[in-house]
Formats: sequence, structure tokens, C-alpha cells
Amino acid sequence: MSALLEIHGLGKRFGGLAANRNISFDVNEGEVVGLIGPNGAGKTTLFNCISGFFPPSSGSVRFAGQDITGWPADRVLHAGLARTFQVVRTFPDMSVRDNVIVGAFARTRRLAEARTIADELLAVTGLEYLAAAMGNSLTIAEKKRLEITRALATQPRLLMLDEAMAGLNPLERAQAVELLRTIRGRNVTIVLVEHVMEVLMPISDQVVVLDSGAKIAEGPPATIVNDPAVIAAYLGGKYRPRLEATDS
Amino acid sequence: MSGDRPTAAMRQVSWAWVGLIALAAAAILIPLMFGGVAQLNLLVLVLLYSSLAQAWNILGGFAGQVSLGNAAFFGIGAYTSTMMLIEWNLSPWLGMIAGAVLAAVFAVIIGYPVFRLGGHYFAIATIALGEIMLIMFANWGFVGGAVGLSIPFIRGEDRRPADSWLFMQFNLNREGYLIIGIALAALVTVIAILIQRSKIGYYLRAIKNDELAARTLGVNVLRYKLIAIVISAALTAMLGTFYAQYLLFIDPETTMRLELSVLIALVAILGGVGTVAGPLIGAAVLIPLSELTRSALGGAGNTLDLVLYGGLIIIISVFQPNGLVALTRRGGKGRSTALPTDRQEAMAEEAPLLGGGDGR
Repeated sequence: MSALLEIHGLGKRFGGLAANRNISFDVNEGEVVGLIGPNGAGKTTLFNCISGFFPPSSGSVRFAGQDITGWPADRVLHAGLARTFQVVRTFPDMSVRDNVIVGAFARTRRLAEARTIADELLAVTGLEYLAAAMGNSLTIAEKKRLEITRALATQPRLLMLDEAMAGLNPLERAQAVELLRTIRGRNVTIVLVEHVMEVLMPISDQVVVLDSGAKIAEGPPATIVNDPAVIAAYLGGKYRPRLEATDS
Repeated sequence: MSGDRPTAAMRQVSWAWVGLIALAAAAILIPLMFGGVAQLNLLVLVLLYSSLAQAWNILGGFAGQVSLGNAAFFGIGAYTSTMMLIEWNLSPWLGMIAGAVLAAVFAVIIGYPVFRLGGHYFAIATIALGEIMLIMFANWGFVGGAVGLSIPFIRGEDRRPADSWLFMQFNLNREGYLIIGIALAALVTVIAILIQRSKIGYYLRAIKNDELAARTLGVNVLRYKLIAIVISAALTAMLGTFYAQYLLFIDPETTMRLELSVLIALVAILGGVGTVAGPLIGAAVLIPLSELTRSALGGAGNTLDLVLYGGLIIIISVFQPNGLVALTRRGGKGRSTALPTDRQEAMAEEAPLLGGGDGR
């Protein structure tokens, strides 16, 4: 069986800047895949290319056996691929419940059914006590949780989270990790972008590392943390010889 | 628990019903009490403008696409039925349907390119479209040009002007116009309520809040904006037909001028943008006020209208940005009261827990 998401030779140029260069990797059904890299490595650009916000300049994206390269965002969503944003985009003048109902309408035309889906998911993600609060009255942690709930309401097969942990305090971060485990238990495949490695390592099955727009490493977390190229990307090139010296 | 708590949307809907019933009661009772032609005229105008504002609200309020060119749809409705009546002697009821269809087609043709513009540019483009329609009709001889068109009287056996439901004309017993006005207002309000409580309504609000986020949740933004403008245009055109039959005379100035587009938007904004009750309240306040100043100030009243509108826009945006309807909500200050009590309780419970994290 082929992978759920197959990225092949993906590239994106903005004028003279190559934000993504020849990136290829697969995401298998049921996995949690971490996508890491220093700031400016091209993680969000890659997200935007996959989720239909910009067409890639080269390469292809296949999802569930279908070529979705260059599809508009709403069509990608209906194919079963949902995403959240790095900078939260809660609907500010709608209640928490209504925010989630908008997501649920991706799979139904009926309000009663959308409400049922929304209420069920609010219970799963632990936001039911906020159901009547307005989107703009939430804290950052709550907004991020709401965005995830809203994306789940579209009943995706693959959920892509762009820095779901950024800006959270340690307690909130632990709760977010717990939430990811719950989501995974619901048979949703997850791609997680993060530049803080420590958050991502315990929950990822596979990690893909980007630097300056290209993939520099890929593998299970344990291998990745010892990869010299990854260390160089995070700490700077001058540490590489020193590390190699200590290795030998 | 919060599941039993009425949501904001439900509160709006119940207020809309209260407003609608109050309007209907006033519409029936006041003429019975006073019976004057002036009162009846005022009521018909209140109903007309509340309906126009409600139709505008579907596009400008729910979807957040502020149109200052809705008079163009109004004109299309007025001219379509009138031309069909004059040329082919067809009933204005048929003309009303034809006008609605024509306006809907026109809305799609202009909406397709214009919706690519964001924010204020959309509003500016709609002003330009309204003005283009006005100039075109003023110079189009076939539809009477700047002189306008008169709708011939329906005459009884004695050759004197008469009443006819079939031809939507009431020269003797003008209550007929009031009944049609109430029916149209009810139709537009019910459509607005149904939209608000449907997938379309939720999607339009999502688009108004954040287009990009709406797209990630699977909303085909252009398609839903087109749905909004088509419904808004069709309803506005139907009201245009009614207005033509009410005045029995139309010209480009009375049906398509910019001030009309502005007034339609203003009624909705004064009452409360994006709420069903807002346009009803807005029209009930603004239209009598505008008629009063007009009659009190005589000929000078025409330009003073604009001063009044301008002043109102300033007052609303400073003191009551959510419109008069927000006064009916708890606390009367709109957005800031959006925090329900269970949210506050929840925050109180949470506070000690988070204390450790904050103190780092």
C-alpha cells in the first residue's frame, strides 16, 4: 500500500528566492510526522504548498492516491486534509461552538447534525465549558485548541498543525501533547510543524528536517537528534568539526 | 451546562420575531387608529426600507461585503416590471419575478470580477457600478431616459382609476400597498432568518470573520459570496417592482441614485449589521426621522437629509458600533459583554492552576 501523503520533488520559488527545493517524503496512515527546521527553513511554505494556499513551482503532492498538486484550499480540505495556522485564525465574532460548527459543515448540510458533531468534538478536546464564549475572548492556548477542534470537525484523514505549541506555557504544552495523543487515537494522521525539537521528539514516529528550503535529514527521532547535519543546522556549521572530533 | 444556554444567534432570532410582530401590529393598528394617507405612506416606506436593508444585510451584514450599489438592483426590478407592463401589458407580479431573475444574473456577472477586490475596494466598485447603471438608464431612450416612465392607471368600468390585485395597483383603497409591503417584509425577514440558521449563514459569517480561515475549513469563498449577492439582488429587485407600482412613476434618479444605496446600508448599520432584527429597528427609527425633517424643513430638507445621515454614521460608529440592536443585549455594549457567566466561572476555577505557569 502506498503512503497517505506523498511529497515528491516539491519546490517553491518566490522570485529569486527558493523557499522549498526538491523536497520528497512520505507520511503513512496513522503516523505522527514531525517537520522541524530553524526559522526560515521553509516549513510554513511547504505547508502552504501542500494545503493549497500556493501552487508549488515544481514537484507533486499526492494524497490518498490522488494527485492534489495545485488544488485550491477548500478542495484539498474536502479530500480529507485539514490544517491549522501558526498565527491563530479563530473567527473572533463567532462563539466557540459556532467556530466548530463551520468546520462540521464540511461534511453535512444540516445544522442539527453539524451541532452534534461540534458538541461531540468540544467534549473530546475539553472545550465544552467555553462553547458559548466568543472567539475573541479566548487565551492563545484556548484559541489553538479551538483551531484544532475546528479542523477535526471537518473529519480529516490527515491533520497538519503549524506550530500548535508555540507561545504555550509548560502546562499548556503538556495538555497540547495529551490532545495530540487523543487525536491520534481517533485514527487521524498528523503532520506537526515545530521548531522546538524537545516538544516534537516524544510524540513523533518520523521526523523530517528542513534547512534553507531543502530536506537535510529524515528518520526516527532518536536518529535525528544525533545527525551531524541537523546539529549543524541548529547550532551553526562551526560546531560540526568539534562534534566530529568528540565522536572519534 | 453551557449546552442549554441560548447562543447569540438564537437571541437574535427571537428578537427578530419580536421586531417583526411589533412591526406587523403597528402596521395594522396605526392606520386603523389614524387612517391618514400620510401615516399609511410612512408605514409603507418603513416596511420598504426595512426590507431593502434586510436584503442588503445578507450581503453586507452576514457576509461582510459592504455594497453601496444596491440601488442598481432596485432599479433593475423597477424597470423590468414597468417595461413588461407598458410593452406587453403583463402583470407586475410576473415582472417582479422576471426582475428578480434579471438582477440575480446581473449580480453574478458583476460579482465574479468584483469579489476579487477586498475590503473598501469592493465598496468603491459597487458605487461605480451603481453610477454606471444610473447614467446608462438616464441616456437610454427605450426606457424613457432621464424623463422616466409613467405606469398607466388601472381603470374601472366608469373609466376612473381603480384597484387591482392582479396589477398591484391601489388608487382608491391604498391599504392594499400596506398589505403587500407587510407580506414582502415578512418574506425577506423569513429568508434572512432561514439563511442565518443554515450552512450558508454560518459560511457567510465565517467569510466575514476570516476569509483565509474559512477556506481552510472547506468554504468555497467565491461561491458563497455569489450566493449572498444573488439572494440580496433578487430580493432588492422585487422591492423595486413594488416601489414602481407604489409611485406609478419611475426615473433613474428615484430608483438608482447613490443616496438610496447609502440609505439602505445606513438603515442596516444603524439597526445592527449582521442581525435580523437590526434592519427592522433601523428603518423604524431612521425613516420617520428622515420624513419628519423633510416635512419640517420643506424644500431645504432634501440636502439636510444627507447631513442627518452623515451625522448618524459618526454617532453610531463612535457610540454604538454594533447598532441599536446591541442595546437589547445584556449590558448594552455589544462585543465586550460577549463573555458569558460560565466563562467567567471557568476562568476563576482555572486561575490558581495556571498561577504556577504565569509566575515563571
